[in-house]
Amino acid sequence: MSDEKIVTEEAEALVASEQTEAPAADGGKKQKKPPLSKEEKKILWQARWSRWKAWVYLLPAIVILGIFTVWPIINTVRISFMGQWTTEGGSTWWEGYSYSAALNPNTHYVFGFNNFSSVVSDIDFVTCLTNTLLLTVITVPISTMLALLIAVALNSIKPLRKVFQTIFFLPYVTNSIAIGMVFAAMFQMVWPNPTGEPMSVGIINTIIEAFGGTRINWMNQGSSHFANMVVLVIYIVWNALPFKILVLLGGLQSVNKQYYDAAKVDGTSRFRTFWRITVPLLSPMIAYVVITGFIGGFKEYTSIVGIFGEKMGPVGNDWSLDTMVGYIYKSMGVSEGKAGAAALILFVIIFAVTMVNLYVSKKKVHY
Amino acid sequence: MKKKIGAIFMAGVMACTVAATLGLAGCGASGGSAGTFEMPEGGFDVNKPVTISFYHTMGQTLRDKLDYQIAEFNKLFPNITVKQSKLGTYDDINGQIKTEIIGGNQPNITYCYGDHVADYNRSNAVLVLNDFLPGGAYENYKITLQSGEEYNLGMTQEEEDMFIEGFYNEGKQFGDGSKMYMLPFAKSTEVLYYNETYFLENGYEVPTTWEEMWTLCGKIKAAETAKAKEEGKENTDCIPLGYDSEANWFITMCKQLGTPYTQATGAPQDRFQFNTPENRAFVADLKEKFDLGYFTTQELNNGSYTSSLFTAQTCFMCIGSTAGGQYQKPPLQGTEYAFNVGIAQIPQVDPAHPYAISQGPSVCIFNKKDPQEVLASWLLVKYLTTNVEFQADFSIDSGYMPPLKEEIMTAFAPYKTELDKKNGTDHLAALAADMCLKNADAYFTSPAFLGSSQARQQVGSLMTAVLGGTDINTAFSDAVNRCVQYLT
Amino acid sequence: MSEETMVLETVDTAPEEAAKEPSKGAPAPKNDIEKTSKKQKVVKVFVYIGLYTFLTLVAITVLFPFYWMLISSLKSLDEYNRTVPTLWPTQFVWSNYGAAFTGGLNLGRLFLNTVIVGVVSTLLSLVVTVLSAYAFARLEFRGKNLMFGAMLATMMIPGELFTISNYLTVSEFGWLNTFTALIVPFLVSVFYIYLLRQNFMQIPNELYLAAKVDGTSDLKYLWKVMIPLAAPTLISITILKMMGSWNSYIWPRLVANDDLHRLITVGLRDPSAFIYVDPATGMTTNLVNFPAQMAAVVLVTIPLLLVFMFFRKYIMRGVSRSGLKG
Repeated sequence: MSDEKIVTEEAEALVASEQTEAPAADGGKKQKKPPLSKEEKKILWQARWSRWKAWVYLLPAIVILGIFTVWPIINTVRISFMGQWTTEGGSTWWEGYSYSAALNPNTHYVFGFNNFSSVVSDIDFVTCLTNTLLLTVITVPISTMLALLIAVALNSIKPLRKVFQTIFFLPYVTNSIAIGMVFAAMFQMVWPNPTGEPMSVGIINTIIEAFGGTRINWMNQGSSHFANMVVLVIYIVWNALPFKILVLLGGLQSVNKQYYDAAKVDGTSRFRTFWRITVPLLSPMIAYVVITGFIGGFKEYTSIVGIFGEKMGPVGNDWSLDTMVGYIYKSMGVSEGKAGAAALILFVIIFAVTMVNLYVSKKKVHY
Repeated sequence: MKKKIGAIFMAGVMACTVAATLGLAGCGASGGSAGTFEMPEGGFDVNKPVTISFYHTMGQTLRDKLDYQIAEFNKLFPNITVKQSKLGTYDDINGQIKTEIIGGNQPNITYCYGDHVADYNRSNAVLVLNDFLPGGAYENYKITLQSGEEYNLGMTQEEEDMFIEGFYNEGKQFGDGSKMYMLPFAKSTEVLYYNETYFLENGYEVPTTWEEMWTLCGKIKAAETAKAKEEGKENTDCIPLGYDSEANWFITMCKQLGTPYTQATGAPQDRFQFNTPENRAFVADLKEKFDLGYFTTQELNNGSYTSSLFTAQTCFMCIGSTAGGQYQKPPLQGTEYAFNVGIAQIPQVDPAHPYAISQGPSVCIFNKKDPQEVLASWLLVKYLTTNVEFQADFSIDSGYMPPLKEEIMTAFAPYKTELDKKNGTDHLAALAADMCLKNADAYFTSPAFLGSSQARQQVGSLMTAVLGGTDINTAFSDAVNRCVQYLT
Repeated sequence: MSEETMVLETVDTAPEEAAKEPSKGAPAPKNDIEKTSKKQKVVKVFVYIGLYTFLTLVAITVLFPFYWMLISSLKSLDEYNRTVPTLWPTQFVWSNYGAAFTGGLNLGRLFLNTVIVGVVSTLLSLVVTVLSAYAFARLEFRGKNLMFGAMLATMMIPGELFTISNYLTVSEFGWLNTFTALIVPFLVSVFYIYLLRQNFMQIPNELYLAAKVDGTSDLKYLWKVMIPLAAPTLISITILKMMGSWNSYIWPRLVANDDLHRLITVGLRDPSAFIYVDPATGMTTNLVNFPAQMAAVVLVTIPLLLVFMFFRKYIMRGVSRSGLKG
């Protein structure tokens, strides 16, 4: 898997050093078996411990992940290949695995690939896939760049820094109910009469008009797919910023100030300092933010529900903004097998993209 | 050496976890026994404590009424403890129970709609009530209460006759129609609310057919436009009619026109039958009327009920649920209401054969391993649904109508008094409930089956899509495709 | 595209540009020191104006929803429901805050439950995360990379799918309606382990080797060196985890929906807990008092805000400590 990708030279050096130690300890143990001095016992115990300790440290995580993550995944894979052939009204069709139908003694599930084929042939599948890919590819770079800028800006001011820091983290303590409502209010137009003039235009359109532009139907009935996507991108970026700022600022603040002092003495320009020192030093954090951003982006769902409602689209164009996770949820209503198949397809996509990400970051990231 | 230990250790931990969980999941799936009930030896034990749970959506006032009735019920059966839980909405209840069934943790009794029962029935989780009904095995089964009195377990013919037949039969709308799965708890339907004051001022008649409705809309629109022009405005804000639920409109039109909508059995592509020329024609006609500015719907009104437009006098007619009567109340201007509200039956295609959709919660009982729980649940359900006092209390507070016959309800003095207060302002809920009772024959439901809730959602989307300008043929075929794909 | 190109674009279009231009020219007039320093001062002022304008604009965008929540909690129901939202309440309805308490919610109990679950799960989660991140960042063992890769892979499957499977497991363990069911299943977050590992790996390796030579035990090294150095990240994780507990909804409603264990989100999202009482008649209506719901949201947000303010101090302290000579 990601074996080689994440290994760093530094880690390799450590492996080498430990491997030279280990045989020595093993050899010592075999030669002098009966008479062990206190000192030797200690060394032996340490050698044993050093072999096991990593697993002891990881034990709680492994057990919990095993039960609450690995097992559900195994289960998902299993049922995504299960279903039954149902015959009624002279035709036979495939019914994907359902946990509740499985309780019925009359249900007999068989294995097959039909869940996958019914997902791929679904008229909504391509829409969901395109929306997901578009949203991810657009929002991740934008939010990462913005967050990096904000973090660097925050890091290079003194007065009011605390105030700004506090403000940028506030969204964490803001309830999601409130945020969705506010965004809708900002972009919405309200018509008392669908064929007449809008009664009110949101703050965004008011601003556009104040600058001499014409108002845009962002998210109401008859709005374009493009306008809908713009609203979503803004909302998703807004949502993603605090976390990214938090991580990048955390990284910036643990960067050794000496590097900057050296740069200052050398008279290096700000741009060069940013580019040659800040970015390389921050690269593990940037890589983290980008990789998790992509993974999160592919799982986008709640933002769309937050603004456009559970029908995943503007009025009159339901499901036009549906995503892969939306598709999975919809399928779960009737068949967890079909939902599992969709989830596996999504997994393969995320996995491929993450591998590319890791490959790139291996080349660029400096630990 | 080192390699092996690590690998073995890791493999061991993983294997243990997986094995442990596999074992668990293996025995986890149980509880879905067949739907019929077998009487335990010795019948219902009136001395053994038993706890049953009841999921509903009642607010505090209604819960107080329920608590009072449970206390009364406990006088007969002190051994039964009822744990009632209020969950947010019908959909919340549905979602919660669907998962709970899988772990065998479903409640004993719940609020439900036909669509939900179709869901629960996939795992045979819902109790078939036939044994407890007239003609069933336990119709006349007697329980000796702690007080020594005899109590009839089953529902007698007399009790069954208390129910309005249409509502009662909704419990049988599944499969071949022979099995009864739910009992009606409270009912509502759609009615036409109109601005009586405005109608009297202008001499308008309340429309009884859709034809009359559209003529009237044209008149109102023209008059209001002229009025607006006099005031120097270019156009009027007036939309004569607001219809809350797009899906209900579609389903009701199918029923009134006698055109197909859905059927409960058959191949998936045969179940969703609504893509017909007649249906496309009526939707096209609605689109025409919509473009003339004759009506709006809840979705088109930014998701808020059209009652807000009605009370603001932007709409002069509004078709909505009787359970939402209090929202149609106009604002107070000083001590007077801005206008009087009138209530009528919704417009029909054929007034001689009227149809209006039947809504409101029913209750169903779940199978449980302990037969005592099942019996206790049945006793409570029977007690509540056939209890005139409770039904009256519930109706007065909620605006829902009781599922019991009018003569039975009005024979109960407090309810009669409340109904007699009905008027178009202070006692709008009573007026709505009264209207509801008078039209009991017109109520219909659409078939409930796995996928019926999907059909409902899709026809609603279809309506807004067409009104928003989507091609009719595309909208219809997309809707049918989505329904079929949901099942396959 | 790589981060490289992204960052380049950023720099081109942002306030940083102000810094870029003059500094390029800076080395040129080397002999005229006075001029340069004056020029640099002017540039510095411009840079700061740019920085503050930028930050202020972002701050306003970020603050707006928060502001909205506050004013919504003070509006009358009528004003709240208006189709044209008002930016400032025409009249302040402080009684919404009273209504939040007198509604059907036992706010105190809900809050206590949430605090218990939030604190316990955050603490346990920190322990598990630190240990795992340490193992991945500093220790060597067979299958380390495979293990780490596998953990990362689990992040890529949408967790929504796990709900039913986990519900079955929890139900079999007999954990329904217990705090355990709310805490244990989400104790391990691969996100946090990954984040902390990245941070640990930044800490110069020489420190670790030096400690090893000194005979310092791993745990001691972890406690004395790694944790203080990674303090900002740990605080970030704490905040994220706390907020996670605070915002989770679907799972708590499913596994712990009795009065003793119900969490605040489950309570807050229950519209019937906020029934509007007509102030004129004193009658209960069927309307949901959304402003009162908002008021309750604000009330439970304030303690979190205070906790956050308190933590922010620690972030600063963690930063000053990380300045130690490595």
